[in-house]
Amino acid sequence: MGKGYPTIAFYPEKCNGCNDCVEACAQIKTETSEPVHSRISVAKDPDDEFYGLSLCRQCGDPRCVMDCPARALTKNEDTGVVHWDETKCVNCQICTLACPYAGITYNRITDQVMKCDLCNGDPACVKACAPMALEYKIGAEIYNTWGDLEDLFVPGVGACLGCNSELIMRHTLRRIGPNTVVATPPGCIPGVGSVGVNGITSTKTPVFHPLLTNTASMLAGVKRYYNRIGRDVTMLALAGDGGAADVGFQSLSGAAERGEQMIFVCVDNEGYMNTGVQRSSTTPYGAWTTTTPVGEALQGKTRDAKPLPLLMVLHSCEYVATAALPFMEDFYMKLDKAIEASKRGMAFIHIFSPCPTGWRFDPSQLIEVARKGVETNMVPLWEYENDLGRINITHVVNEPLPVVTYLKSIGKYRHLSDEQLVYIQRKTDERFELLKKFTKESKLEGLSDAA
Amino acid sequence: MNKPAVETKPNIEVCDGNKAVAHAVRLSRPDVVAVYPITPQSAVGEWLSRWNDEGTLNAEVVRVEGENSSMGVCCSASLTGGRVFTGTSSWGLLFMMDGLHYAAGYRIPVVMTNANRETPGIFTIGNSSQDMWSVRDAGWIQVNVEDNQEILDAVIMAYRIAEDTDILLPMMVCYDGFYLSYRKDPLEIPAQDDVDAFLAPLKQSKRNIVTPDDPMVFGIPSFFPKDQGEGCTEFRYKHSAALERVKDKIDTVDKDFEAIFGRSYAGQIEAYRTDDADIVLVATGSVCGTAKVVVDKMRDDGVKVGLIKVRLLRPFPKEKIAKVLEGKKGIGVIDRSVCFGYHCGHLYMELKSALALEGLPTTLPTLNFIGGLANLDITVEQVETTINLTLAASKGETVEEVTWLSLEE
Repeated sequence: MGKGYPTIAFYPEKCNGCNDCVEACAQIKTETSEPVHSRISVAKDPDDEFYGLSLCRQCGDPRCVMDCPARALTKNEDTGVVHWDETKCVNCQICTLACPYAGITYNRITDQVMKCDLCNGDPACVKACAPMALEYKIGAEIYNTWGDLEDLFVPGVGACLGCNSELIMRHTLRRIGPNTVVATPPGCIPGVGSVGVNGITSTKTPVFHPLLTNTASMLAGVKRYYNRIGRDVTMLALAGDGGAADVGFQSLSGAAERGEQMIFVCVDNEGYMNTGVQRSSTTPYGAWTTTTPVGEALQGKTRDAKPLPLLMVLHSCEYVATAALPFMEDFYMKLDKAIEASKRGMAFIHIFSPCPTGWRFDPSQLIEVARKGVETNMVPLWEYENDLGRINITHVVNEPLPVVTYLKSIGKYRHLSDEQLVYIQRKTDERFELLKKFTKESKLEGLSDAA
Repeated sequence: MNKPAVETKPNIEVCDGNKAVAHAVRLSRPDVVAVYPITPQSAVGEWLSRWNDEGTLNAEVVRVEGENSSMGVCCSASLTGGRVFTGTSSWGLLFMMDGLHYAAGYRIPVVMTNANRETPGIFTIGNSSQDMWSVRDAGWIQVNVEDNQEILDAVIMAYRIAEDTDILLPMMVCYDGFYLSYRKDPLEIPAQDDVDAFLAPLKQSKRNIVTPDDPMVFGIPSFFPKDQGEGCTEFRYKHSAALERVKDKIDTVDKDFEAIFGRSYAGQIEAYRTDDADIVLVATGSVCGTAKVVVDKMRDDGVKVGLIKVRLLRPFPKEKIAKVLEGKKGIGVIDRSVCFGYHCGHLYMELKSALALEGLPTTLPTLNFIGGLANLDITVEQVETTINLTLAASKGETVEEVTWLSLEE
């Protein structure tokens, strides 16, 4: 498949536009501090909230390399650096037009193009950045680890633009592998195409369409039969919040209590998106849906979301985790653990799954919306391992953003009043405090017996 | 684990109907069994759990949290290639209604028992056929039996019918709750070897299953008429045609069963003393025992009366019934349930429909008697009443078409 290399990560919310990076770059390359010689620059339109970065991404599949007529640009397979060879360059500047990131630019003083070479693995700009908006790191470790796994899902899918379910389907199947039976109850996952298109299957694993009411028990039936004949096959349910938290909750709860061996993934898009955006028990307070309208009496949903993953912890599942796809390494780590845990009992993964169509936001913002959900602590990422008996927060947010930064990026919260915003912030804080009580000292052993 | 005790010869044991079910299931060697309690069949799951623990039932026993899940476990385990069983009754049967349609639509050979019981609404813990008839459009094979030996034998035969590649449909063996589930009779428990031999032909049957060896999708959407609508029509037609094939199959399997075990239930229907009868009672379930006694008694008194015991409810054996009833002078149908919207009993509605479809004269006097709801006994006297009224109607007297026995107005 390819390889992930170290590169320079940029955190716009931390950048203050001081230009120290620019000076540092110019200094190390030309021993002057003239910004014109800098390979990096930051800029901001008056309307923008954050600074934007112009810097070579050292792309995996670089357009500049492809479009250079003189083969002056090459990708170094060992370091990942896109290398510019001055001796071959014909100064046509096509690369500067090919690059979508302004990562290679024309320097009018030297009358040559210039680009970042990562300073031999010790970039000066990163060292100069006081607010730590720049970080030199391997951004794609996951790619190196899992990039060669086979995609078991059909290339063309029937998903809405910017659909999170497709990502979930691909990555989950990719990691879990072909020796798996997949159950996808009614909802977006079959809608995306898991149950086939025009009579042809869309996955390279067996997949069946259980009832919305009994996905967990149907998957248990398959597993029990394989146990009976002594064959090891992984069970995977990909259910929506309806099939997990609402009408499917009884069978999920029953299967969890019995310790049925499976990985049950709840794709939580906070409502019935596949039927046209109706509320479910995981729809958050204040959210608009077609059945919690914004009108005279109602201002969105009046009740809080059901804390399904915590409820699953209280079932003494072998493994419980929350996940969000901007944090893919975190998700893959959890899939790893879930595969192992599912040999002993139930592994439950609750994936926060923003829905551009149902939540009313631009499909291009899918990952950003999900990231803000996590970084406001509205969607804490954690895991519970039964043998450790406690919850471990896997992505600690040191300085949580105010919930309003998340809420204002989503149309379904557009109407929220100040009072509602205050309420959501308070509930978010309370919930996080509650979650923390399950971490560290608070052992959960014996909790189910105590009730 | 203990080795299963294998009976080498038939054994007589006093059992109630529930234990008869459990013996039949054990002898049929299922792979996965789902159990959930509901009166009056809870002992089925108790026996199976106990025998599983003792090692005489070598199966995965799943103690589910509700009937909707027991049907789910059975459907998927069968879809994966296993032999499965679950039992239920009444509220439980209705709670797995989506699962019932699922099993039938996917042509999954689940074998299930239902201890017939009144349905919710009027809270009764008593027998009737209301539950059994309520699910008759789910696409299952349904039989209803008369006594405990027939329960045991019918469950074993159910595997031969359901899992047959000509059929591949779920099958429900219904037996009257309370009357049979709790009544004890001395039963002949077949030898394991004989049951193994009887079920051996199924080893040849192949069906599409859920396996990573041959990944397939189970659940093609049928949204777009051009692409899948015709597929749905085709599947429905094939399903319905398979149900029609059950009629001959149940007769054949009954003969095969008789050859090994020496007992026959005559397949689709049992015609009792109907050959020279002028009037015929039509009934199903445990009341047929009472009806046979009364028929014998009335015969002694010179009344030419017979009985059709309807064993097969779905598919409805209309051809066989019509053949027996051809030329008769009067028919009395005994029902233990109410077919709402027709203001009569279910069996009566089925029978009237069958007679019309089979071209019997619509002038044939046909009466309906509704009784035995919520554990009210259908007594010898009441059956005599049904015969007397049918006789009167056959002679041209005016008689109310539907009589509600035991109705106090």
